[in-house]
Amino acid sequence: MITTPDLIDTLATNVPPVRTLRRPTMRAAGWVVFAALILGLLSVSEGFRPDLVSILRDPMFDLRVAGALFTGVLAAAAAFMVSLPDRSRLWLLLPLPALALWLSTIGYQCITDWISVEPEGMHLGEAAQCFATLVLTSAPLSLAMLIMVRYAAPLRPVTVSLIGSLAVAGFTAVALSLFHAIDATLMILVWNLGTAAIFAALAGALGKKMFAWVGPRPSIGRST
Amino acid sequence: MILRGWMSGVTLATSSFVAALPQVTVIDKNIPLVSAKRNRSTESASERSVCALNSGLRRQSPRLTIVKGAADRAATTAASDAAEPRELDWSILMARAQAGDSAAYRRLLEEIAPYLRSLAARYHNDRSDIEDAVQDTLLTLHAIRYTYDAARPFGPWLVAIANRRLVDRLRRQGRLRARETPLTPTHETFPESRTNLEGELSDRYAVEAAIQKLPPGEQQAIRLLKLKEMSLKEAAAASGMSIGALKAATYRAVKSLKTILSRSEDK
Repeated sequence: MITTPDLIDTLATNVPPVRTLRRPTMRAAGWVVFAALILGLLSVSEGFRPDLVSILRDPMFDLRVAGALFTGVLAAAAAFMVSLPDRSRLWLLLPLPALALWLSTIGYQCITDWISVEPEGMHLGEAAQCFATLVLTSAPLSLAMLIMVRYAAPLRPVTVSLIGSLAVAGFTAVALSLFHAIDATLMILVWNLGTAAIFAALAGALGKKMFAWVGPRPSIGRST
Repeated sequence: MILRGWMSGVTLATSSFVAALPQVTVIDKNIPLVSAKRNRSTESASERSVCALNSGLRRQSPRLTIVKGAADRAATTAASDAAEPRELDWSILMARAQAGDSAAYRRLLEEIAPYLRSLAARYHNDRSDIEDAVQDTLLTLHAIRYTYDAARPFGPWLVAIANRRLVDRLRRQGRLRARETPLTPTHETFPESRTNLEGELSDRYAVEAAIQKLPPGEQQAIRLLKLKEMSLKEAAAASGMSIGALKAATYRAVKSLKTILSRSEDK
């Protein structure tokens, strides 16, 4: 076994310069811009829902979208804050008011419209298309978040992955509200928080192995 | 009396400043204020450290005000001032390590190791566990050293990493110990050959008795090839039998021994 003085000697020999992280708020802003870019690309490829102008006059719809949007933004800020070792866990409370607003306007039509049953038989309903949008939005955002907070792997993997998934869920909900004439909030929550729960369970069980392919490995002779 | 209290307060405050001054001077000497090689991020980190140093210097400037109870307050200030330069020193060393200064990094790691050891000692009793925990924390610190912001205090950053690693380590140990059974003297005694001598001896007597019942040729073959572990050539030379005859005798002997021993077991 290597002794502590030998380890210090190994670590301090030829230590390469590292680029320090930007402020967490700046990095959260970067992630939000990336999310906006994804939404913009989706709006070009899929187009906004036909009744967007009329539904924007509905205060419940506006509240729901605003709640989801603020949940996404605030959860992203909280994720980047909490991922740093010396920041308080109280940052986790930041998205809670927006989340409460969002959840208070929740609907469940998406679950009921999963498969449409019509006289000519069953076919995939609108929900299948919004599921595709959901994957197209949440997959790149989750990946970006995972890479951006990879240093949290040896610190708070479970907490960061949970709050990060909440941020992804918020933006995915905004995307679905704007592109599909269907209220898919519950499905988004089940999908994202379910994923987050699996993610958290894996992170809890496997620890830093979960982030092994992106996270920094605390080993000798590896610079970050 | 009151005047003496004031005077002692002023003396203590001044002495704390003087005591802190040499340390600050040393830190100041180590900071390269201008360096052409530094990149932009490095420069900003060092500049922030210098700002932190300047604010530290401003904090420590002497104030000769007459305040009631100054003696007690001065004693408290002296203690906190002693801790502050160390914290400031570590912040600067870390900022320099982020810029690739090996000497600063080595000094930092050497200085924080005893502190980490004292933290680990709160969680572990075993010395090797404490050293493992310290090394784990040092490795993690090394892996995520880019997350340290030189504008912020170093202490909370370090303690958060150390606590996280210590708690993770305790959890891992708990999981391992739940699956492990400690070795007792009983576990060590039973596999020992001396413990099983009686059984081995009785087996040896039984085999010997069975061999005695074999014809002389088979007895000789089994003794030379199996008990003395000779090669066929050596056994042929020792017995005067051919290799083929030895093989046949051994085959017959093993077969007969199986029968004899199984019969004796049945009894």
